[in-house]
Amino acid sequence: MGWKEYFLTALIVNIFQMAIAFVIFSFQGVLPLNPQGFPGLSWDLAFMQAISFGTNTNLQHYNGEGICKQLPNCTSLTPGFPGLSYLSQMMAVQFLQFTSATTGICVAVAMIRGFITHSKDLGNFYVDFTRSLTRILLPLCFLASMVFVGLGVPQTLTGYQSITHTVEGATQTILVGPVASLVGIMQLGTNGGGYFGANSAYPFQNPSPASDIFQIFLMLLIPTSLCFVFGQLIGKKRETRPILWSAYALFALDLLIAFTPNFPVVGPGIEVRFGGFFSVFWTVVTTAVTTGSLNASLSGLNPLVILTAFNGMLIQATPGGKGVGVMYMVMFIVLTVFIVGLMSGRTPEYLGLKITVRDVKLVMIAFLVHPVIVLIPTVLAYSTGAASAIGVGTNSVGFTKIFYEFTSAAANNGSDFLGATANTPFFNISTAIVMFLGRFTPIGLLLALGGSMINRKRLTTEAGVRTDSPLFALILVGSILVLVLLTFFPFLALGPILGFFQGRVNGF
Amino acid sequence: MSTRISKMMSVRRPTLVSRKVLIDSLVRLNPLRLVANPVMLLVEITFFIVVAMAIYPEGFPRLANVSLQFFYVEVALILLITVWFSTLSDALAESQAKNTANSLRRLEMEVSSKKILIEAGSRRIVPTPSRELRKGDLILLEKNDTIPIDAQVLEGIAMVDESLLTGESTAVRKAPGDDVIGGSQVLSDTLTAKVTVNPDETFINQMIRMVESSKRPKTPNEQAVTIVLIGLTAIFTILIGALLGMSLVLSLAADLSVLIALYVCLLPTTIGALLPSIGLSGISRLYKEKIVAKSGRAVETAGDTDVILLDKTGTITVGNRQAVEFLPFPGFTEKDVGEAAFLSSWHDDTPEGRSMIRLAYENGFVPKEMNSLDASEVYEFSASTRTSGVKLAGGTGFMLPKSGGTGRERGRLRRKFEPHVEGGVPIGSDETEIIKGAPDAIKRIVKSVPANYDTIVQKISAAGDTAMALSRNREAIGIVRLRDVLKPDIKEKIMAVKVMGIRPVMITGDQPLTAKSIAAEVGIDEFQPEAKPEDKYDIVKREQAETRIVAMIGDGTNDAPALAMADVGLAMNSGTQAAKEAANMVDLESNPAKIIEVVMLGKQLLMTRGAVTTFSIANDVAKYFAIMPVLFASTVPELKALNVLGLGLNTAVLSALIFNAIIIPLLIPLAMRGVTFKPSGTMTLFLKNTMIYGIGGVIIPFVGIKLIDVAISLL
Repeated sequence: MGWKEYFLTALIVNIFQMAIAFVIFSFQGVLPLNPQGFPGLSWDLAFMQAISFGTNTNLQHYNGEGICKQLPNCTSLTPGFPGLSYLSQMMAVQFLQFTSATTGICVAVAMIRGFITHSKDLGNFYVDFTRSLTRILLPLCFLASMVFVGLGVPQTLTGYQSITHTVEGATQTILVGPVASLVGIMQLGTNGGGYFGANSAYPFQNPSPASDIFQIFLMLLIPTSLCFVFGQLIGKKRETRPILWSAYALFALDLLIAFTPNFPVVGPGIEVRFGGFFSVFWTVVTTAVTTGSLNASLSGLNPLVILTAFNGMLIQATPGGKGVGVMYMVMFIVLTVFIVGLMSGRTPEYLGLKITVRDVKLVMIAFLVHPVIVLIPTVLAYSTGAASAIGVGTNSVGFTKIFYEFTSAAANNGSDFLGATANTPFFNISTAIVMFLGRFTPIGLLLALGGSMINRKRLTTEAGVRTDSPLFALILVGSILVLVLLTFFPFLALGPILGFFQGRVNGF
Repeated sequence: MSTRISKMMSVRRPTLVSRKVLIDSLVRLNPLRLVANPVMLLVEITFFIVVAMAIYPEGFPRLANVSLQFFYVEVALILLITVWFSTLSDALAESQAKNTANSLRRLEMEVSSKKILIEAGSRRIVPTPSRELRKGDLILLEKNDTIPIDAQVLEGIAMVDESLLTGESTAVRKAPGDDVIGGSQVLSDTLTAKVTVNPDETFINQMIRMVESSKRPKTPNEQAVTIVLIGLTAIFTILIGALLGMSLVLSLAADLSVLIALYVCLLPTTIGALLPSIGLSGISRLYKEKIVAKSGRAVETAGDTDVILLDKTGTITVGNRQAVEFLPFPGFTEKDVGEAAFLSSWHDDTPEGRSMIRLAYENGFVPKEMNSLDASEVYEFSASTRTSGVKLAGGTGFMLPKSGGTGRERGRLRRKFEPHVEGGVPIGSDETEIIKGAPDAIKRIVKSVPANYDTIVQKISAAGDTAMALSRNREAIGIVRLRDVLKPDIKEKIMAVKVMGIRPVMITGDQPLTAKSIAAEVGIDEFQPEAKPEDKYDIVKREQAETRIVAMIGDGTNDAPALAMADVGLAMNSGTQAAKEAANMVDLESNPAKIIEVVMLGKQLLMTRGAVTTFSIANDVAKYFAIMPVLFASTVPELKALNVLGLGLNTAVLSALIFNAIIIPLLIPLAMRGVTFKPSGTMTLFLKNTMIYGIGGVIIPFVGIKLIDVAISLL
């Protein structure tokens, strides 16, 4: 398939899959496997959630475990928060978590194929999709789920259990369901959408430090592997270096910033199940690979930790989400090779391919997508009154929440401050659009980049800038930071940076 | 003559900012003329907004403050100056290009020509200005006429001086079928020629048109940089728009003028201002080297050159060999050889011949037969025998020249030497016949070959020199060692080329041993000996098949296919029309070594563009730190912590804006002259320039803005 055909096939297949999920979400009330009797989601929430899972974002404006009235002993949860039936969790959420992750791998590999010598096209989407799904994700997830079951994560369809004899002698509802199978794919596929509203901060999703570390491992596994896949496919393993080194250099920089504050990184009253170190480490990892799962509430973290979370989401290549991380890194390399590489006195080239006007155009537009879909909705959320309607303030804390919401949506990350409170038509529809554009526009543009590399005259001379040298990786890191910070600095300054200077821990 | 020309060719150094340039730069402030430069147009639009704020601040509720009217005036002024600096750079570059063009145009002297009109079978000569000649017209060229335009000889044979265009002072013989070049001069005899070009189509004119064309097509590289420019502009426009929106909806009370200041500081004004002049000055610099490029693209491709084909003669060596040593055979002395060389070369006007006489003279080997030289019989060089020589009448014998004493008259005594013709030229008892020529040719005519003949010849070849054998009365007497003289600087130039990762390949007609030795002397590893013109084509094809970019020079019609195929083809103006048309550049001075300069210029152009772009983007980092603390100072004072430079709150914005403006004129010399660089590998250049323009680009504005801030607060 040429890039257009490959892209359109991927797009149509994805839209079709999202449509299935939309139907399941909307009609879960009348569909089987709904022991809790959850009603169908409102159309705007179903629309948003279908796109959210279909775009590998997993932004959740609901709490999976459900609403209060189905629970025998309900006191804390506000009535009206929608929950998901077992069918929705399995057939809509998990299904899309698998397909979106698979699509990510496919489009990345397709783009890389454009750079390979002697490739005639970008491959066949159906073949790529089936193989990635059945040979990588399904077996790995099966194993991961087994491990989680072993670590104590529930996997059952029996419905919620009531236990009447707690230590205090009271009755408690035990929220169980097909959790283990979902946790495997949500971390492995850099999806991040948890079974429970509290995500991996909830004991049944993340019972122990062992499961915590295992989940961090799963998140990093495939995005890191794909860096090596790049070099392997290109046929020059050395070319893995700039991608891997820069990604991990930026990741290390984020860790450094996150652990810099000398006052407690975790605020009072917040989930501290895994302590400061693991909570912060998780937060940096989950945004670095744009998974978006949580093991502690973002509201309790130091603004500098939030800043590093922004960093991961704005760069999207540290090492970034499934597949798209590599694509974004290639975008940054092409941009750097062009702008900075010009100073070598040769027409810039990458992998022996001369960078043309069209390439520069494509990467520039791909780079432009992000500021447009992050900045404009952030302003709209305030100017339309949607933010104040859900009680978000106009100070640095409130601004951070809104800015984070759209950054997370655009980066297809999925963690957020707002959670189910953002279940309003404005936030549902706006984030759905942002997620969709944030996912498919760059993919289309970068597939076009890969497609235009096919049949291009390849230079076998190695006279150009050596992209596999450590110094190039360093320059790449510098140029990524400059480009991304220049684009978002004022907004970061009004959000987490201001929060830091105000000495605030968000929310308190 | 030649000094007059060179004076005309040299570009007058433009005074830095003449009045004309100044006026032109002001005229260019017209917004309609700025459309071609969108970044600067945006800056000018913001200027009008700030002017409106200064005049009527009440019209900008929540965005402007009446008490800040004076500040708005200051901001507006700096914005206008920013745009003016940009138009000034354009005006300067264009005036420089025009100056170059004018000085070149003066080369095309307006001369009167003799146009031949054929009416009713009779020819009539009509005096016609050269501008009015058209392709196909017949012209008459008589002795001392300046040839008005490029033409092809139809009738007659004449000597023509092309030194104006080639720099070579020897006269060139032109016969029917040859091309004559406009501007050269007829030295003898009369020609009838057909005009081959219209006056506008001459090379000089084509070049001038290109320099003067304001709609010079952008090179692909320029287009790509422009896209980066537009992309950045779009990003910052969205960002500032969003920031303005945020300020309004969150009541952050940002002043519109400060927001505009941030916007203009972030906009890639430096690239926007300098991009047009970088390209234009590149062309100007090329023309100062007196090279015509058919497109800017070819120059930039030259920067990518991987392989460079260098003709030995003219590029590596000065083009002729010099005698350096006389080697006698047993039984003869060095003096014998020297005198024979002297005599045999007396009528030989080639540089080799002259150098033999010089060497003999310097050694005091002046033959006593010198007096009888005028009465000698000359054997002209013939390609078939590869020998030439002289036959002297014996003793004091004297033959009167027919008339006069010039070489031309002497020529009447010349006749072809035919050694193999039975009973050819008998050698009288009192006659001396001296023949010189290629060693193998002499070997064939001498009575006996000395035992060490071949050894000496081989030794000379192995050293990279050329041997010329001498015979006196059919007896081999010795060998003259002729050495190729290297052009000054050529070793350094080849070294520079190699350091930059470019492979030089030497093309020569010499035999392998000689070629190898010369190649080794200048440091070339690869050479093609005994090359025929077709070999160049094969080499170009072979290298291109391995995806290398090939640069070459050429002058003959034989070179045309290779020139057309090479990525960078530089033709000599002294060459044939076919070669010039096939090449993408023509050197008016016909100096083949200039190909190296062209490659360097190509690299410099790309580097300059990259340096200014990188510098401009890197500059933005510091400007954030200058302006962000001030932007929301009244509502979120905590952001003052970003004021790492400790700028004054009242002066920070102006300092950043002034730095942003002043960096443009400071970089104009860089844009015009190009980034200076020492020849080194691609990666070294890349890292070095990244250090200077990337990291330097981040640091310099911090220092610059701080200095300006200190200066303002002192005022």
